[in-house]
Amino acid sequence: MHAIANLFPWITNGSLIMIQVMSGLAVGMFLFLVSVGMSLIFGVTRIVNLAHGSFYMVGAYLMVTLVGILPERPWAFWLALCVAPLGVALLGGVIEMTLLRRIYHRDPLMQLILTFGLILVIGTLVLLLWGPDNKSVQRPESLAGSVRLFGQFFPSYYVLVLVLAPLVAVSMWLVFYRTRWGMLIRAATVDREMLGALGVNVAALYTQVFVFGSWLAGLAGALAAPTVAVALGMDSDVLTNAFVVVVIGGLGSFAGSFISAIMVGLLQSFGILIFPAISIVLLFALMAVVLIVRPWGLLGRPEDH
Amino acid sequence: MARPALLAVAALLALAPLVLPPFFLQLLTEIAIAGLFATAFNLLMGFGGMVSFGHAAYFALGAYASALLVKKAGLSMIAALAVAPVLAGVGALVFGIFIVRLTATYFAMLSLAFGQIVFTVIFKWKSLTGGDDGLLGLWPPDWLKSPAAYYYFTVAVVGVAILALHRIVDSPFGSALKAVRENPRRARYIGIDVRRHQLLAFVISGAFSGLAGGLFAFYNGSVFPDFAFFTKSFEPLVVALLGGVGSFFGPLAGAFGFKLLEWAISRQWPVYWPLVLGSVVIAVVVLLPRGFVGLAEVRAWARSARRP
Repeated sequence: MHAIANLFPWITNGSLIMIQVMSGLAVGMFLFLVSVGMSLIFGVTRIVNLAHGSFYMVGAYLMVTLVGILPERPWAFWLALCVAPLGVALLGGVIEMTLLRRIYHRDPLMQLILTFGLILVIGTLVLLLWGPDNKSVQRPESLAGSVRLFGQFFPSYYVLVLVLAPLVAVSMWLVFYRTRWGMLIRAATVDREMLGALGVNVAALYTQVFVFGSWLAGLAGALAAPTVAVALGMDSDVLTNAFVVVVIGGLGSFAGSFISAIMVGLLQSFGILIFPAISIVLLFALMAVVLIVRPWGLLGRPEDH
Repeated sequence: MARPALLAVAALLALAPLVLPPFFLQLLTEIAIAGLFATAFNLLMGFGGMVSFGHAAYFALGAYASALLVKKAGLSMIAALAVAPVLAGVGALVFGIFIVRLTATYFAMLSLAFGQIVFTVIFKWKSLTGGDDGLLGLWPPDWLKSPAAYYYFTVAVVGVAILALHRIVDSPFGSALKAVRENPRRARYIGIDVRRHQLLAFVISGAFSGLAGGLFAFYNGSVFPDFAFFTKSFEPLVVALLGGVGSFFGPLAGAFGFKLLEWAISRQWPVYWPLVLGSVVIAVVVLLPRGFVGLAEVRAWARSARRP
């Protein structure tokens, strides 16, 4: 024990460990918001949307623009936070109706390739519209400081995330398990053909789910904008993370995304403490181990054959 | 491809340095390397029915192995180029053991995960790989310094590698691989060890990708972590897709079209290149409704229509 304490001096520091847990949870909540949309879209439409990270990036850039043009009032930030994800939802709807709708019945690999093409197109359009320089968004005044937690300082903006994301999770759970629409979504993840045969307009359901998933990506991007540098590479960064979360949790599994987002968030915040150099390798190593042991993820279902 | 056509292409390539300015020789060198990478990739996709989303890892393993063998171990360029594919093949073997246990989407995703691990290790292991700064100053020996010399060298190496890959596709192993692609269950019933064939194809593909990486390292004079990044993994995929997945020489033609288009657009508007590439990819996917199979069918149909 003494040797371990020498190697990792923070291990006896309870308040540091708690703060690390809290920031791990905050990271996990961001990851949950991004990945649950990706997972939901896969569950219903069977498309792994590689452009999901691009939607997240567009959400963050829309936030930059909206906060910039709105008057400098306390409500401006919150209005922008509501509008930016709607813009992304609109973008998602247009893409679904013009492109994805044509390829649902196709080879899954063609679908992956198409969404990869979208990464390139959206990335370039963002570069052309917003330019190559990094942008930043001010945190709202009420959340600019930090709170004291376990004797340490913790950014109060993260508290917002720690409250908001579980709220989204609970609302989604209620929608999924307590409404007719949610029931249709769950039915679609189990058997789409049967749902169509029963007279449900599956095409409309796909569009709604895709729009909703895009909205979630936009919300995550808008919410993350004040905590990161809004830059062109953020699409691929967040895509790889969301990808890991979705694959570990199980494609199409709501609870799986939540659990694995928290696992990955904690792994990241403690990985940086323990193995600073290879914390990202830990992430992919975890994903590789899960894929080897349970190829369909912790709570996913085996691939149809 | 028929023998006369092959000889004609070889003659054209041999005469090119007499008429083309050095810049175009460099472009042709790049095309040859991209063509080898895509052909190696297509051994998996076109003939094995396995789509890897992390093939940049083996390209990068080859590139970094060549660079490190020259810089740290003091090997000559030729020796490094001979060893690099072996190391890339070993990497493909270690990862492939796990990857070939999965199918379709999950196969693609595990290959992507391993690809990102390779990228991260290269990116983070600063003391060995130089991290983000890469490894610079990797030039071929004096006798290969000029664009024409390196062009001849690359075309020769790529030519031999392509012929080797062609022999592999035409061999009994290649036929068994196609059988596995068409119907894994039936292949198993007639006594083909499905996983072993898939793994062997994965290793061969990885090794030749590594050779392409090694050639590119000395062409470029430096290696960077970007070589292993997942966007790089899509390059052979797009090249093979453009050229035609169903035919052996399709990816070579695709590399020609891809690099020429890249050069034509990046020269004037470098910013627009990803936009054009993305749009082309989307258009190919949406407008060819039968996908890969459709491409192969259209070609087969065109061929049969030409013959009386």
